[in-house]
This record gives sequence, C-alpha cells and structure tokens, in this order.
Amino acid sequence: MKHTKVLAVIAAAAAMMSIGFTASAEEKVLNFGCAMYTDGMVNSVLDENSGWNAMRYGVAEALFKFDDSMEVTPWLAESYEVNDDHTEWTIKLKDGIKFSDGCDLTPTKVKAYFDYLKEMGPSGSAKPEKYLEFEAEITADDAANTIFIKTSKPYANLVGQLCHPTMGITDVEHIENFDNGIIGTGPYKIDSFNGVGVGYTLLANEYYREDVPYDKVNLMFMGDNSAKTMALQSGQVDLVENITNVADIQNFEDSEDYTVDIASGVRCGFSWMNFNGVLGNKTLRQAILMAIDDDTICNSRTIGGLYTPGFSVLPSNLNYGYDELVNPYEYNPEKAMEILDEAGIVDTDGDGIRELDGENINLRYISYENRLLNDFSDAHAQYLAEIGIGVIPEYGSSDDQWSKLAALDYDFNNNNWTTVGTGDPFAYMANWATDTTYCAYSNPEYDELYEQLKGEMDPEARKDLIFKMQQILIDDAAVLVDGYYNSSMIYSKKVASAHIHTADYYWLSTEIVPAE
Amino acid sequence: MKKKNRFLQNKTFVVFSILALCIILAAIFAPLLTGGADPLKGSLMDALLPPCKEHIFGTDKMGRDIFTRIIYGARASLSATFGVVALIFVLGSVLGVISGYFGGVVDAVIMRIADMMLAFPGLVLALAVAGIMGASIKNAIIAIVVVSWTKYARLARSLVLKIRDRDYVAAAIVTGSKTPYMLLRYMLPNALPTLIITAATDVGSMMLELASMSFLGFGAKPPAPEWGYMLNEGRACMQTAPWLMIFPGLAIFVVVVVFNMLGDSIRDILDPKSE
Repeated sequence: MKHTKVLAVIAAAAAMMSIGFTASAEEKVLNFGCAMYTDGMVNSVLDENSGWNAMRYGVAEALFKFDDSMEVTPWLAESYEVNDDHTEWTIKLKDGIKFSDGCDLTPTKVKAYFDYLKEMGPSGSAKPEKYLEFEAEITADDAANTIFIKTSKPYANLVGQLCHPTMGITDVEHIENFDNGIIGTGPYKIDSFNGVGVGYTLLANEYYREDVPYDKVNLMFMGDNSAKTMALQSGQVDLVENITNVADIQNFEDSEDYTVDIASGVRCGFSWMNFNGVLGNKTLRQAILMAIDDDTICNSRTIGGLYTPGFSVLPSNLNYGYDELVNPYEYNPEKAMEILDEAGIVDTDGDGIRELDGENINLRYISYENRLLNDFSDAHAQYLAEIGIGVIPEYGSSDDQWSKLAALDYDFNNNNWTTVGTGDPFAYMANWATDTTYCAYSNPEYDELYEQLKGEMDPEARKDLIFKMQQILIDDAAVLVDGYYNSSMIYSKKVASAHIHTADYYWLSTEIVPAE
Repeated sequence: MKKKNRFLQNKTFVVFSILALCIILAAIFAPLLTGGADPLKGSLMDALLPPCKEHIFGTDKMGRDIFTRIIYGARASLSATFGVVALIFVLGSVLGVISGYFGGVVDAVIMRIADMMLAFPGLVLALAVAGIMGASIKNAIIAIVVVSWTKYARLARSLVLKIRDRDYVAAAIVTGSKTPYMLLRYMLPNALPTLIITAATDVGSMMLELASMSFLGFGAKPPAPEWGYMLNEGRACMQTAPWLMIFPGLAIFVVVVVFNMLGDSIRDILDPKSE
C-alpha cells in the first residue's frame, strides 16, 4: 500500500514535470538585440525617443501608419474623412480593438490620450503639438466609434502627423508606470523592465486582434555593434536591428544561417554647420563641400552599402526632384583650394592650417557612435586636412551631441535624422527656417517658401516648394550631407521572417514569426 | 683587480636595455622607418586592406597604413608613459619625503589625501577624473598621475621614517644643517634607489593604463596614432579585419614586456639583497 502511494506520487510528479517541460518547449520566445535610446523609456511625452521606443517595441500603435512607400494606411483607424478646408477630420476606429489590459479602444480612450499629451506635453521635450496642435477641438462619439478633430488651421496631411510615434495611443487611464510600463494595443505588452542598459521582458498581448507569433520577447539593449554581431553569432539573440559594420553585414549575407533585410531608408546623415561661428563664411563652406568626396566615402569598404551618397538634405529615393537639383559643389579639391586662396584664406605661418581673420581654422566636430557617424566625421576630417582645414574631433554620447546642437556649441555637428517622419518633409525642413533652426542659418527666401509650405494643400505645389527649398540649401552650402542611411534587420534560422520598415518606427511586429 | 660593472654582468638587463633602446630609436626615427609615410593620411579607397606588400600590417577604416601608425604610435605611447612615470616619481617622492620628515599635521594631511586616493580602484578613479576633464592624452596623463602618486609618497615616507630618528640625522640638525639641505642631502638619497626601482618596474603598467584610457575613449582622440585608441578603432572590425587589433595589441604587448623585464632586471641589480 505504502509503495503504491509512493509510486502514485512519483507518477504524478513525473506527469506534472512532463506537462511543464512540454509547455516550456512549446513557448515561443524571441531574443531581440537592439539599441537603447533615452534609457529605454516609453513615456511618449518625455521626449521623442520614448515614443519611438513604445512603437518600436510593439507595445503602442497609432491611428495610422506608413507603408514602405511612406503612404499613410489605417492602423487603429478604419477610415477618415476631411473637409475641403483641411480643418475638420472625422476618423472612424476599427471595431473590436482592445488594449493589453483588456479595455476596449474607444474614441473616448483616444481623446483621453490626446488630452494627456496636451496636459503633460509641456513637461517633456517630445512636443506633441508638432503633430496635433493643442488648440484642436477633439470630440469622441463612442456610439459611432468616431473621433472628430477640428483644427484652428488647415493641416495638409493630419493623418500623416498622426502616424508619428508620439501619437501612439495608450490607455492613460490605467497606466501606473508611464516611464516603463505603458499599456498599448500592440501585439506585445510590457511584463517587466529589467533595467537601464538591460532591456524589457515582453509578453504576447492576449487581447490582440490577431495571433501573436511569440509568447515572450526578451528585448535586450545592445548599443555596441560588435556585441550585437557576436550575440547573434553565438545564439544569444535571434534578431538584431541595425548592425552598422559593413563587413559584418557582408558576412551575415554570405552565410546561409542568417538573413539580412535592408530597407532603402528615408534617413539622412548630415553635419550641421554653425553659421554663428567661423562657418558663417560662405567661401569656407563652399570649399568644404568641394573638398569632400562623398561618393568615395559612401562606397568605401568602411561605409559601403549602408549609405547612399547624395548632396541634398532629402534622400534621392523620395519623390522631391533630387535628379533635377543642381550641385555646384561637386568634389573638386583643387577648386576648393583655389577659392580659399582667392578669398585670402591662406596658411601664412606654414603650419599646414589656413587662417581666417588671423586665426587657424580648427573646426570643432561633434559626433557620436551611431549609424557610422564617427566614421563619416573621421573621413571628413581627413579630406579637410588635404586643403589645410583643421578639425578637432569631439566624439561623445548622443546626449552630448544633442545638447551641443541645441546650445549652438559646435562648428560641425553630425547626426542622422528621419526626413519624412510624418510622411512629408515639412517638419524636417523646419530645421533651416530662421525661427526653428539649430545652426543659425537664415535665408528670407527659404523662410518665405517655408511659410507657403505651411498653408499649401496641393501635393504637387508642396513638392515644388520643397524642391526649391532644397536647392536654396544647396546653393547656400548650408549642410554637409553624409548620405542616406539604409536600415537593416538581421536574423538567425530561429526566425522564419522579419522585416525592417522604411519608416523605422516599427521593429517588433506580427511580421516577425518563429521558424517552424 | 678591475671591478666588473654590475649592470653589464646582468644578461637580462643587457638584452632588454638593447631592445628598449631599439623601441626608443624606432620612435625617434619613425619618419625614416616608415619611408616618410604620414600616419594621419589615408585614402578611403584603400580602407580595410589586409596585410599586403604595400601595407605590411594592412590599412585601417580610413585607409591609413597601420605599420606607419604603429611606429608613430610609439612616440605617443612612450612619451606619455615616461611623462606619467616622471611626474608620479617626482610628485610622490617630494610629498612622501616632506611627509616623513616633518611628521605631525603635514604628514597627516598628505597621507589622508593619499588614503582617499587609495580608497578607489585606480583605473576607475582615473576614468572619473578624465571623464570630468574631457578626453585627451594630456588629461589622461593628469588623471593617472592624480591616482598613482600615492605609491611613491607612501614608499618615500616609510624610507624617510626609517632614518628620521637616527643619531646622525639629529647630529646634522644640531650642527646647523638647514631643512632643504637635510631633505636633499640626507632624506632623498636614502629613498632614491628604492624609488628608482619602483619607477622602472612601473613603466610597463603605466603604459597599459594609458592604453586602457585611450581604448575606453578617455585618452587619445582621432586621428592620433595611439595604440590604445587604435585598438578601440579596430574593435568594431574584430572579426572581419582582425589586423586592426592584432598589430596594435602586439605593439603594446612587446613594449610592455620589454620595459617590465628591464625594470625587473634593474631591480635585481640594485636590490641589496641580491648581492
């Protein structure tokens, strides 16, 4: 009898263990290595990166999203209507959408989120009013499942503005931890934040409208490219985003064990030139642009493939007339030296560095380790040395770069921006309007075109204005363009498919599925 | 009978001093060794070339010749290392001798400062100091000096304390010897041999610390040819272009071994116990 009991207990334990093992074996887990921005926070009013994090981690979704042609498509919304003045927008939500806490996504919830942006936006730096003005009147109609937005000024493309990650809808009523524990409608929900520099544990959102491919995602922060590469090779992670070492990417492409997905990007790498400093001198800027061989840099083994060379602030793959733009500052170092000599910017003391107003030209170059920016900065310095212009590199963190940019504390400041974040480069082109620039650039003609762009509703007329604005920046030698960045995702055989999107807002999605 | 030179008798010393001399000469005559190549100039078209006839150590991400950069890197590494060792030797010895000789409040203040410095791991504190001051070789030297002088100060102090109460010291004082004379004539010479041995053995470790600072981004800045910084530059290409790390790493290894062995042999020669 006693033996029977013991056997029964052992059998029961074995059965439970086998159930446990089976469950564990069937659990689909994705290990995802990605860069950490703003300490991995997901509070969309805090700063721009935090909203991006929330959307990239597959937690928050917006009313609309961009497809890979950067066309707006419905996401949480089903459709929209707009009046002729582009001031009254009626957006119908999809039926049956739920947040990961089980609450229904209703127009009232959407309005609550917009009210939250209005209330808390001024406390952060995300500036949600860039996408939807605080003055807008928002009315929720739960019965019709619509939300009505009336703006005080016309919006050419409000639905594009609503695609921005800052506009990712969350259940603000029930969120207890806005920094690391938001509740969204995305396929994954935050289970735990494992620390700054560590990552998140995400679980499948059981209320998601489709099957979620993974039960669990271990999201691991990895800023270092070598770390990402080796983590993928060792099997520590199954999927990584944006390895920027070309040779490593080439190795992954050559291997049958990995798949590389590269998106023709809408990001532009460029160096700001501070017009308040020595780079206020136009001849010097012209010479700089002529001294740097961007084609060779972008096609070198150091950068090759990850940037497409170009001379305008808008990528050549966008439909803003790149091919018709005229670049008067093609690579020509002899000409660069000639115009410097003619302008009296010469090296009088024989130290190899030219002088301007009696001072050696040693330009402070601010840069940071992101998307090969430091390599571009090094290459620029090398080319500029050839024509007698000195560069003092100051490479630090992204925070250093940003604070020095905001304080106009630089000569060059290298960064990489998304150009059509709202489906249109309107917000991006503001970077060179007198009131909103970060480089003290000012051109009344550019400002006038920018003002026209604000009120222009016709898509073709907008393209024409944007084309002219690009040409002005080129003629003024206002920007040192690195090139147009191509984003990437690389995954092992454990993942059946993954996709990096042109818009770069969407990392974790239901498109990433495990191998059978 | 002619007395044999103790230094020349020690084979280790002779071999490693010749090697050290070669390294120093390579640094001095870098332009000759590299055929006039510029360590700062390269062509992006030649980026990341593996070792070949034209570039025996290959090229880096900017297409610069790694052999040239390593030879020129000896200048930066050696001058910075000797600078650090000289500074900590002078600063530590002076403060240690003063502390030991005067005692009292002076001793307490200097030694408590030294204790504070010793309370932190050396490199971590140096990183903090360099981080506050900004990245540059000069600041890296200052940071390492700030945390490394304590060893010499404590050593000099203990050596001075050993003789401070001897009768001949007291006799010198009562016969009118002035303080500077006492310090220079009696105290310092007593501590000097041990301090010199310590300095000789410190060259290798200081070189490693400087390379570590540069590797972590707190020392040399681009495009300076400095071995620690070159290691950092090559880190991203560790798997695909290993020559970017192998050769600077080898350079650090060889030079540190040579100077460590040289330091050890000097210690063997000067250590009274070995006689």
